[in-house]
Amino acid sequence: MSSLLIKNARLETGFIYENTRIVGTETSLYDVLIKEGVIVEVEKNIPQSSYEVLDADGKLLMPSFREMHIHVDKTYFSGPWKACKPITNGILTRIEEEQVLLPTQLPYAQDRAENMIQWLISQGHTHIRSHCNVDPQIGTQHIELTKAAFKKFEEQVTYDIVAFPQHGLLRSKVEPLIREAMRMGATLVGGVDPSVIDRDIDRSLNLTMDIAVESGKGIDIHIHDPNSLGAFEFYKLAELTNQAYKQGQVTISHAIALGDLHGTELEEMVSALAEAKIDVTTTVPINRPTIPIPYLHENGVSVSIGHDSLTDHWSPFGTGDTIEKLSLLAQRFKYIDEYSMNRCWKYASGGIMPLSDKGEVVWPQKGNLANVLLLDAECSAHAIARRRPITHVVSQGNLVFHNGESLKKEVLK
Amino acid sequence: MSKIKWLSNVKLETGERLLENGTVETETAIFHLKIENGKIVEQLYVNEPIPSGQEVINMKQRLALPTFKEMHNHLDKTYMTLDWKACTPVANLKERLAFEAAELTILSDTAQQRATKMIETLLENGSTHIRTHVNIDPYIGLKNLEGVIAALDTFKGKVTADIIAFPQHGLLRESVPTLMREAMRSGATMVGGLDPAGIDNAIEKSLYEVMDIASEFNADVDIHLHDGGFVGYYTTDKWIDIVKDAKYQGRTALSHSFCLGDIPVAQQKLVASRLAEEDVAIMSTIPINLGRVIPPIDLLDDHGVKVHFGCDGFYDSWSPYGTGDVLEKATRFCELTRKIDEKSLRNSLKWVTGGIVPLNADGHKVWPNIQDDASFVFFEAASSAEVVARKPSDRLVMIHGELV
Repeated sequence: MSSLLIKNARLETGFIYENTRIVGTETSLYDVLIKEGVIVEVEKNIPQSSYEVLDADGKLLMPSFREMHIHVDKTYFSGPWKACKPITNGILTRIEEEQVLLPTQLPYAQDRAENMIQWLISQGHTHIRSHCNVDPQIGTQHIELTKAAFKKFEEQVTYDIVAFPQHGLLRSKVEPLIREAMRMGATLVGGVDPSVIDRDIDRSLNLTMDIAVESGKGIDIHIHDPNSLGAFEFYKLAELTNQAYKQGQVTISHAIALGDLHGTELEEMVSALAEAKIDVTTTVPINRPTIPIPYLHENGVSVSIGHDSLTDHWSPFGTGDTIEKLSLLAQRFKYIDEYSMNRCWKYASGGIMPLSDKGEVVWPQKGNLANVLLLDAECSAHAIARRRPITHVVSQGNLVFHNGESLKKEVLK
Repeated sequence: MSKIKWLSNVKLETGERLLENGTVETETAIFHLKIENGKIVEQLYVNEPIPSGQEVINMKQRLALPTFKEMHNHLDKTYMTLDWKACTPVANLKERLAFEAAELTILSDTAQQRATKMIETLLENGSTHIRTHVNIDPYIGLKNLEGVIAALDTFKGKVTADIIAFPQHGLLRESVPTLMREAMRSGATMVGGLDPAGIDNAIEKSLYEVMDIASEFNADVDIHLHDGGFVGYYTTDKWIDIVKDAKYQGRTALSHSFCLGDIPVAQQKLVASRLAEEDVAIMSTIPINLGRVIPPIDLLDDHGVKVHFGCDGFYDSWSPYGTGDVLEKATRFCELTRKIDEKSLRNSLKWVTGGIVPLNADGHKVWPNIQDDASFVFFEAASSAEVVARKPSDRLVMIHGELV
């Protein structure tokens, strides 16, 4: 790996106050030197020496994004337009549909996965967590093709593959297939609504944890179940997590029920999740109560965001644009001032932000991974409010994307 | 002198078919359209030859859709072209208005410049009609109106507009009724109003004053109504009475109308029937902030109430967000109400085109027709459903046969 010197990058250096209120973000131009994928120097004027130079020309330098919930293995993205089939039998409509659809899509599924990965990189993501169907029809073929797709982008993006029993771990009897998927290199054990799909909450969650323990990996489970049912499952999962010493390795995706709980119910739930170090991933849905993202963060449950779909048989929507997603998040929580918009970036960057809550510079520092974006923006609040464009993506010290136009035209469909 | 040109290889929606798996697919075909004096005068199938010697613009099989109507905006308020500034948090509407009042005189000097940038942004995204509210208030009088009119003047022939005299700081106070009338004489084309309960604290007097001015100038009306719950409902119901008495059917609209989402369904149906009867339209900006109830748009639509979407003002002292893309409002509405199949996505285009859609509910082609304006937004897309779901950013806007 070579070195890269980013000249004239705009860094956030503090907050601007009017009396006691924050009214702006202070920025200043710096040079950032990267060697072997790591930031080694952040200074005012670093001599060019023999480094490869990227002149940021005053563009804003920010930590890159992590796409924490996506299904690259089953998408219409980059294929012909297709709307969704109306739902007639709840989630089972989609499962029945998949039994026919996914085998049909197999010949081009890897190609679409690659197009989607490429698109996500252009949107500033340097890590992708993809759920990957393991079901009776597909077996572990999606694990295979997802691995092959990511392999083509090894220098550009790190990834997690979740072995995802979409049709039910128990219901579709895929326990041996999930174990096989873990041996093939899946990095997390998946799951989905143990009540609605498997009709046996205890056995489903226990078996999921067994596989995680056996494979020495973590868990990322889809739970859409609402209010008290979701809460019941979260408590069970927290209990199992503590028993198995899997604290910090378990994610609940969607966690819709957190948007239904209030008062002490929410407080107690959140403290149980925080104790088990369970984190949560959300798509910031607008068609149901959005989970209390800032409250979760403040109370020790870390929250990440994901796009889930960029058009597939589940949803015709989705853009892969995380700036747009952050803008939606901020809007949904009625953030309109500089400070509260500035504090949103962490949900998309694995917690990394240039400034601490108090306005001290904490990033970039010597020793940080060189996963950075350049944006045509004055500060992160400006980028989020006005959805300013990403111009460059640097992943592990490599410039992996620049000049939005070319890629955009090719695969925007 | 009549100007003739051809648009070749234009994709139009022609019908629909039902697939075996129960889904609907939109059928399209490629045509050549003859344009004369900005209107469509002839339509040829793709295999028919275009007469030689005439100007041809190759649309390369792009899908033609009707241009958009941005039906709720505040061209005078945006910070566009000025330095970045986030908003100042406030405790309530009163504080927000006080904050705006303090800024108005400073901002009014650049009204034309800021409005111009907003119009450009809306137009780039495909809106060729803009309904803008413009502050008429004791602080700046008609200054913003002058700026907005000057800005719109430079888009004559491209963008049509409704310019609403908008009493943002209250209709019934001090000099405002006089200023409103002056505004109507100075280029405003519609009469606005604002929260007869919440702001004017005199529901009937406020509504009658709006209608008085409107009748005086034979102008249409669009009233901002944020007042929630039953006070908003009563205001709506009372307004319908006034419209009926004044025979103002088809000439008035209520913007936002959150209250319609607050009331029980039985009452929603009742008021929807009355709105339809007196042809009072509802404008929504599809807000998605948590806890915000929006009007029951599908229910209103089912009752025959006209509903239109708008972007609202943005990058201003009220909101730092926004894009100027009214199509995104249709996308968001579909997401919000889980419209995910071809037909319901397709039908949702009407909220941003003033009701025009290529195919009617039965899937029969109803647009475009001979003698229609050759005004289109072109997309690289398979159908209007795709456009609504994906809101593609690549678009070409054509007005009266001329690409913008």
